[in-house]
Amino acid sequence: MKSLVILILLTMISLSWAQNEMAGKCMTCHKLKSPGLYKQWYESQHGMHEVTCLDCHGASKSEADAFLHEGAYIATLVTPEDCGNCHEKEAREVQNSYHATAGEILDSQDAYLAHVTGGEPAAILGCESCHGAKVIIDDNSPNKLSKKSWPNSGIGRINPDGSKGSCNTCHTRHNFDKTQARQPEACGKCHLGPDHPQMEIYEESKHGNTYYTNIDKMNLHSDKWVVGEDYFVAPTCATCHMSATPSKKLSHDVGERLSWTLRPAISVHKDNWQQKRKNMLTVCQSCHGSAFAEGHYYQYDALVHLYNEKFAKPATDIMNLVIQEKLLENPASFGNKIEWTYWELWHHEGRRARHGASMMGPDYTWWHGIYEVVQHFYFKFIPEAQSFKNKKVDDYIKNLFEKDATHQWLSTNTEELKKGIRSGKLQQKYQELFIQDK
Amino acid sequence: MFDKYVRFIKNISINAYGKAGVILTTSSFLVFLVFELARMTGILTNAYIGLITYLLFPLMFVIGLILIPIGWYKRLKSTGKTTRQLLQQQFDDNELKESFFGSKLSLKIGLLTLVNILFLLFASTQMLSFMDEPYFCGTACHSVMNPEWVTYQQSPHARVKCVECHVGEGTDALIASKLNGMWQMISITFNLYERPIPTPVHQLRPARETCEKCHWPDKFYGDRLRKIVRYQHDEKNTPVYSTLLLKIDSGKKGEKAGIHWHVAAENEVRYVSVNDKREEMIWVEVRQADQTYKRYFNNTLLEAEKIETSDPRILDCMDCHNRATHIYQDPEKAIDERIQAGFISAGLPFIKREGLRAISINYNDQNTGLIGIATHINNFYRRNSPLISTSQMPEIDRAIYELQQIYQRNIHPHMNISWGSYASFIGHDHNSGCFRCHNNHMISNDGEYITYDCTTCHSILAMEEMQPLKYLEPVEEKTRGAEMHRYLQEEFKKYYRK
Repeated sequence: MKSLVILILLTMISLSWAQNEMAGKCMTCHKLKSPGLYKQWYESQHGMHEVTCLDCHGASKSEADAFLHEGAYIATLVTPEDCGNCHEKEAREVQNSYHATAGEILDSQDAYLAHVTGGEPAAILGCESCHGAKVIIDDNSPNKLSKKSWPNSGIGRINPDGSKGSCNTCHTRHNFDKTQARQPEACGKCHLGPDHPQMEIYEESKHGNTYYTNIDKMNLHSDKWVVGEDYFVAPTCATCHMSATPSKKLSHDVGERLSWTLRPAISVHKDNWQQKRKNMLTVCQSCHGSAFAEGHYYQYDALVHLYNEKFAKPATDIMNLVIQEKLLENPASFGNKIEWTYWELWHHEGRRARHGASMMGPDYTWWHGIYEVVQHFYFKFIPEAQSFKNKKVDDYIKNLFEKDATHQWLSTNTEELKKGIRSGKLQQKYQELFIQDK
Repeated sequence: MFDKYVRFIKNISINAYGKAGVILTTSSFLVFLVFELARMTGILTNAYIGLITYLLFPLMFVIGLILIPIGWYKRLKSTGKTTRQLLQQQFDDNELKESFFGSKLSLKIGLLTLVNILFLLFASTQMLSFMDEPYFCGTACHSVMNPEWVTYQQSPHARVKCVECHVGEGTDALIASKLNGMWQMISITFNLYERPIPTPVHQLRPARETCEKCHWPDKFYGDRLRKIVRYQHDEKNTPVYSTLLLKIDSGKKGEKAGIHWHVAAENEVRYVSVNDKREEMIWVEVRQADQTYKRYFNNTLLEAEKIETSDPRILDCMDCHNRATHIYQDPEKAIDERIQAGFISAGLPFIKREGLRAISINYNDQNTGLIGIATHINNFYRRNSPLISTSQMPEIDRAIYELQQIYQRNIHPHMNISWGSYASFIGHDHNSGCFRCHNNHMISNDGEYITYDCTTCHSILAMEEMQPLKYLEPVEEKTRGAEMHRYLQEEFKKYYRK
């Protein structure tokens, strides 16, 4: 028994030595062949702490993506499961986060749009570059990975080992710097553009403003990075959504502080949203008084309600009616103009307005947001719906414009409306949007 | 006697053609004799004279000889007389009187013809031997060959004649080279040649007959230690060292094999390359113990590109040592060499960086280049460190001179030769050389790669390190470099103990 234990120990020691020796061999070649990669690693915390090539890329022969390379089994793909060998807590949080589900896009409306109306290359380089691909094994490929799914560093990548995501989406290889993940640019790779311009909104906001002004005071390289303690001039995306505060620990579950989901056509609160809002409020209060933080939520909630009640719900009802009444000419989804109008109303303009409000971007809330919702709702979507000349649809619209106080302006004269603004009567019509959700 | 000759000459030069012919023949013959005498006695030493003595004069002589009968023929045609009548008109009957050995005239002509033949024989052997001189090859086609001439003179083979590699021995080789030379004259006259001139490795004689006269494979044994210094682009031109123990053995059974395994008598490697340029391989194969060949295909080539464009070539010296003589340098390495040799002072701030910039600029012609280099360096020091520009003026001047030397050797704008025009296959710079076959895309049918493990060809004792023998020193545990350091040290020890 004793000798068996010794034997096992000896084997382990010799194996670990052999692995180290192999890593030295990897570096010998790669220092020349891919010097940038080598130098990134050399400068990294991994480099400083003896985490070498095979600690991440070493594989056993049985793994689907393992291939023999210069005498060792290697896997190109490093998955959250591999990272989790050391970063156990982080990997677990990522697996449970909304980010990890991003690869499920393949079954969503967006993926349908790209695959059907665009084509596969656009889906691969567009959607899957951010959302993550389902990694395909190809035995003819030198690294066993199909070229259609490699390279891919999407945040919800579906890996052959069953894990989801890829850590280097934010912690760019091969230095895996936390400094970089703390900066807004890390998120800005995907969170930007007409459908969710978080990056642009951040740049517009006071938060982004002060960040770019005081970037040298952000203490970004510090090991410990607690807002209010290690830095205080401005928050980055990471600060509010992930990083540590004096009372909360860092979490890689990005949804932990979000009370609304602003993604769908009609916004709803997330499960357990009250707790999640409290989580966010503790972040706000690292720099703001409680009245300030709560006031922001009061205004922001009202805007989400406005969007939901005045535009999103009626538009969705009308769209459903059009489908129910079989008014669409072409059978395929997105084969008809009104579908695109409706889609952009919520997926583009509607989201811009909500995201703008949530992160204090005035221009995105109004000009890029509600303003465009208004214009396209009244003067594109409604006329397109009316063009079908269907009684049910027409009745719905007539009823909406006559009965709903927020839409009655269409049949009121300008002088009267102006008088209404001055007297506050017009604003009264929106009072119920400022209700506090419970 | 002299009178007789003059009379003969007068009579034979029957019209303008004849006169021109006689003048050409006589004068070139006489001047040739004078020049040759002067050369023999050591009065004339200029090698360039060979071009006139052995090429121009014999040529004039032959043209003259041809003109004389042309003159006669013309005269015959114009007068309608027979040859006999014309002879009688020009010469005394006495001269024409038949005797046992023929007439006096025919004897004279026979004698002169013998002299002509002897002269031409002498002149043409002299001409051929002059054409074997590197000086002829390097300067006869002055502007075209100048780049090769300059690089040849600075190469390790500067004392080996051009023809020893480019022409070879035997009448066949001689005739082939002269025919080729005629084509070269035509292409130069009518401006038909490419710029830069493609490397004529295909016309080279087999390395077995040329290189191996001096370097035979049995001689390749053991290891060669090579220290490569690279000066960085910082103010102090800090050197970093890469030290390689090159394993160059040809490797017989039971001994350690090295790079010259490829040309060992018992091995054979063959390949076919894209457009026969020897740069990108289509396939390469190696003879096995059972005399069959194991073939490795380039799997990055499309099927269409795999079409074989030439016969398989058996690998020899030239496939790696393709620039053993006409060596065009890498600009950075050229400067490094001269700093290391002390020609360029490492004490000049930023001299590596600025020197490289100065010689890398695309100048219109060589003269502008030489001036440009001087201006760049002088201006840099005047602008950034006026103190150095005066206190270290001799060093700066020397550095400029050396940089100009590098430029002059390697850059030839009139032939479109700039940095990197002629790739070298020795080593693996720019992912070429060894890496043409030793890479991850030459793959056999059973999925095997040709090894590209770095330590196959060299042990590494330093790789861009501050100390030249860094990896022979004790491993500094718990540092970033430890694993590679340990691996390379172990590899070296294991190899060296063999």
